[in-house]
Formats: sequence, C-alpha cells, structure tokens
Amino acid sequence: MEERGTFCYERGSVSIETKDLTKVYRVGTQQVHALHAVNFVAKQGDFVVINGPSGSGKTTFLNLIACIDRPTSGEVFLEKQPTSSLSEGQLANLRKETIGLIFQTFNLIPVLSAFENVEYPLLLQRVPRGQRRQRVTALLDEVGLADLGRRRPDELSGGQRQRVAIARALVSQPRIVLADEPTANLDTETGKQVMGLMRRLNEEHCVVFIVVTHDPVVTEYAQRTVNIRDGRLEEGGDNVAAASTA
Amino acid sequence: MWLRLPLRSLLRNRRRTALSIAIIALGTAISFFVLGFFADATRSIQETTVQEFGTLQIAAKSLWDDTAEGYEYLLSQQDLAQVQAILEQEDAVVSRSPQLSFSGLVTAGNATKVVRATALVPGNKTLDVNDLVVEGRGLEPTDIAAVLVGRSFAEQLQLRPGDVITLTVTTVDGAFNVSPLEIAGIYRFTSSQVESQQIYLPLQFGQRLLNTDGVGRLVVMLDDLDATQPARARIQADLDVANSRLEVKTWEELSPFYEQLAGFFNALFGVVTLAVSVLVFFIILQVLTMSFLERTREVGTIRALGTKRGEVFRLFFAESIWLALLGSGTGIAFGLVLGLAFNAVGIEWQPPGTVEPVVLGIRLTVQTAWLPFVVSVFATLLSAVFPSIQSARLRVVDALRVT
Repeated sequence: MEERGTFCYERGSVSIETKDLTKVYRVGTQQVHALHAVNFVAKQGDFVVINGPSGSGKTTFLNLIACIDRPTSGEVFLEKQPTSSLSEGQLANLRKETIGLIFQTFNLIPVLSAFENVEYPLLLQRVPRGQRRQRVTALLDEVGLADLGRRRPDELSGGQRQRVAIARALVSQPRIVLADEPTANLDTETGKQVMGLMRRLNEEHCVVFIVVTHDPVVTEYAQRTVNIRDGRLEEGGDNVAAASTA
Repeated sequence: MWLRLPLRSLLRNRRRTALSIAIIALGTAISFFVLGFFADATRSIQETTVQEFGTLQIAAKSLWDDTAEGYEYLLSQQDLAQVQAILEQEDAVVSRSPQLSFSGLVTAGNATKVVRATALVPGNKTLDVNDLVVEGRGLEPTDIAAVLVGRSFAEQLQLRPGDVITLTVTTVDGAFNVSPLEIAGIYRFTSSQVESQQIYLPLQFGQRLLNTDGVGRLVVMLDDLDATQPARARIQADLDVANSRLEVKTWEELSPFYEQLAGFFNALFGVVTLAVSVLVFFIILQVLTMSFLERTREVGTIRALGTKRGEVFRLFFAESIWLALLGSGTGIAFGLVLGLAFNAVGIEWQPPGTVEPVVLGIRLTVQTAWLPFVVSVFATLLSAVFPSIQSARLRVVDALRVT
C-alpha cells in the first residue's frame, strides 16, 4: 500500500458518534419527524451498511453526519469533535479534511475530466501540483481507471463514473467515506464490482465506510448492518461473511 | 482550476456563451464608435478654435471683463516688452504676435458693411491667415494699405483681389479716420460668419488708422495643446509677480462654444453608454441567472466536497470575468473594424454656419477605446454579482436535491 503512495489509518478508535440525533422538517403547518433521537457509533475501519426503505430517514441521517445539514436537536461527533456549534466555513473545512462523499447519481463535474474530478478535493486543500498528480494517478490506478483519466464523465459508463466518484472521495485521504445509494444507478453486476471495490478500499485504508441503501446486494458486503425505519435505528448485527466477500 | 473550471463551464453551452459575448461586444463596439466619433469632432473643433484664437491670448483684464472705456485696454510698448520677456522663458511657446482688433465700416461701391478688423504682423506664423488665402495673395511685410477679406464677404460685395474698399474707423482719440485699402487676397474659413465679418490688415497700418502705437492683445502659439494650462499658469504667475494689469486666457475660455459642445458631446456619450450598459447588464444578468440555476446540483456537489461559499462565488464570478474580457475585447476589435471602414468611406457633412463640408471620422485610439472597454467589463461584472451570490448562498442539501 505504501509503495502505491496510498494511506492506512489505525483501526478501532471512535470515528463517528451521534447522540439523540433528531431532525424535524416543517411541511406547511405540520411537523415531520425524519429522525428520532438516533444514537450511533462507528469506529475506524468499520464498513457499515444502513438499510431502510424510501422515506425511512437514511439519507437525512447521512446528510447530518456528512455535515451538509444541521440537526433539529442532538449532536454529531466527528473524531470526538461536536459539530453543531461549527460555522458554515468550519463545516466546509471539516468536510474537506475528514469526509469523502459518494452520491447515488455520481455527481461528477461534467466539464472536468476523470483525472480533474478526482483532483478537485486536493485543489481545495491546496496540495502542491506534484503531490496531486501522484495521488490522483495512484487512486485512478487503484479503482482500475488508470487509462481513462482524460475522459469526461459523459464518455464513461455508469460503473466507471462511480469508480471516479469513489476515487474522488478517497483522494483527500479522509477518515470517513459516506455513500448514498452508490449502486442505485448501476446494473447488478457493476453494482457488485463497485461494492467489492469499496470493501477492498475499506480494508486497505481502514477508512470508515457508511453506506445507506435499500439494495439487498449491498448488505452482503457489510461488516455491520443497521436498519432504519421511521427515523429509528435498529442494530442489525455483524456480518461475518462480509470479510470473505471482500 | 479557478480559471480553467469557469472557462470550461462557459464552453459547456457554446451557443449561450456566444450570444452573451456578442451582446457585450455589440454594446462595447457601439460605445467605442460613438466616443470615437465625438472625439474626432471635438478634435476638429479644437483645431479650428486654436486656428482662430491661438493657444493663449494675453490682454488687459479690462478687455476680458468688457469694462474698458474706449481704447484704454490697449497694451503699451512697455507692457509688450514686459510680456515678451516673460514669454522668452517659456519653452512651450512656438510663436507670438501682437494684434489690434477694432470695428469699422467698409464701403465698396454703393454697399456698406460693418466689419471686425484685425491688424497683425504680416509674415508672422502665429495665426498666419496667409495660409487660408484661396484667391490673390497673402499679406506681406512690405504691404501698407492692403487687406484680406473673407470669401463670403467678397461674394456679398462682389469684390475681387485688386479691388479697393474704403474703411472708416474711430481713432483712439474719438475722431473718424477713413482710408482706402486694396484687396490683396481672399481667404476661406470654416465659419461663414467669420468669412463675412472679419478682415485682416497689416499691424502698422492698423495702428496708423487708430492713431496709436499700442496693440490689443498678444496671441501665443504653443507646441502642444496639452501644455495650455501649465503654460498659462506659469505666465500668469509671472505677470502677477510683476504686478501687471494683464491676464492670460486659453483657447477654451476664448471660445465658450467649444466648452459647450464638448460638454454636450460628453453628456451624449454618457447617455448612449449608460443606455447600452443597462441593456447589457440586464441581458447578461438574465443569461447568467439561467446558466447558474441549471448548475444548482453542481453547486451542491462542490459545496458538499468542502468548497466554501466564497470559493463558489469566485468560481461563478470568474465566468463573468471571462465573458467580460472576451466580450469587451471582441467589441473593441469589432468597433475598430467598423471605424476603419467608416473612415475609409469618408462621409462628408456640412455643419450649420460653415462654408465647407467636413469629413466625418472616427477617432480610433487607446484613449477612445479604454473607456468603452472598462464600462462594458464593469457592466458585465456587475450583472454577475447577484447570481453569483445566489449560487454561493444555496443550502447544500437543497442544492443536492435539485434534479
């Protein structure tokens, strides 16, 4: 791993913790409880799959721990740091330094090449050009897209785009990667490949992966599953088979 | 990236970008063309004014104030010597010449006409009316009772070179003096009013007619119009130190018409540029708002990746910088081509009160290009501020929900 210029964190320390996390939306005069006092802990190196049907609150939960939305009450701790009191700018820094995001619809910047999309978070971190090139090249190689760096997103297949998105999520060497329905826009076979890749990267880099999905195929790759229903979390237990899947 | 990403975003919708650049370019070209036209007209008027009045004139304050009794404003030989000494110190002075102006009555045959006579030093290159002679000859140092009359004047009184007219004047003592004058030549001028009222004769003969050795004023030519104000300030300061009763006037002060016209041109250019800029502002505002709205999800993505609001603003504002530079640059190039074509055609126009048509031109210089360029860039950038702020202020989760 070191020879490939990549990174690996130490397993076991608490990376994400939520305490009584609650989110209430106002729809007209009505209040909709998307999350009810959710308590959750993920440790470094965990690969957690959060299952739940549409409208169960799983994306809301992911948005809150990604610090792109604010809870109505409760607290999100990232690396033991409370986040509710942070300003917009501080939250942006936290996302930039600590979190990698993978979206259902890939969300690549269409005018940039695959290489430049992966490079973007490093530009935000003002990483020197030489280091940027080295890290982007290594990650594109890791996700199997070493020869496709110059292609624009519209010149790539769905699976290739999601691989670019995964490389982009990892390039800034985050401690946490959050993925929202990463296989929803992929066929089953490509979805399996993408999940296999994420699992492998989780193993290699000891990065926390939190994946929300309602796809049962994704659950096969989970080290630990959590079910969410009507805004409440239920621990689903450890998945021993997941290690062999990876 | 901060320049590359905005440029690529612009190229994403090429038709819309081309339209935006065309609108900005058209606005810039119109402003450039209009300013070039006014600048050329102003320059022509400057040249004509200086040709008529000289760059500076030095005379008694009472002449400028119109408070003099009779000919008491006349400069004595002592005054002249004092001024000449001061002008010797001034590097910008190219030439100088004393003049004596007075009113008189010209009689030719049965016709009589009131004229303004200017007596000057024949052969002196300051306001050399000999350059304007179109028939006959100019005044020469050996001439005594000779006169130059304007083309309109000659036509009205049916006069030709060699004909004799009679000039009646009032001397400085208040007596009448009458003298025959031979028409040496006929001059042309841009203004028919000048041509029909102004006659020129040798200074010594003019002084003899008025029975004085004084002059009305000293006309000064400078090597550069831009030197007018500094030279005037220095000369006036020297005169004040010498406790002189004389005052220096510039060609601009001597021709209020020029000041008014220049002010009118400036106001007209301001109105045209403002109208064009407002139009460009609203069209580009609309285009950028649409363009930025279409990328709401993209804003959500880059914000989620850790891009700060200020950085989002910078990215979007950079797009308008590209648009402004490309549009305004193209506009200047387009205006240049348009101006060169206009100048090549050589369209003529005869302004009211003039005897000869003037060739309309577009002044194409850095001085006439920079202002339209800057105004267009400013209007475009201003139109980008609001949509850029709107994009930067989007909530990340809301932006990501947009499909």
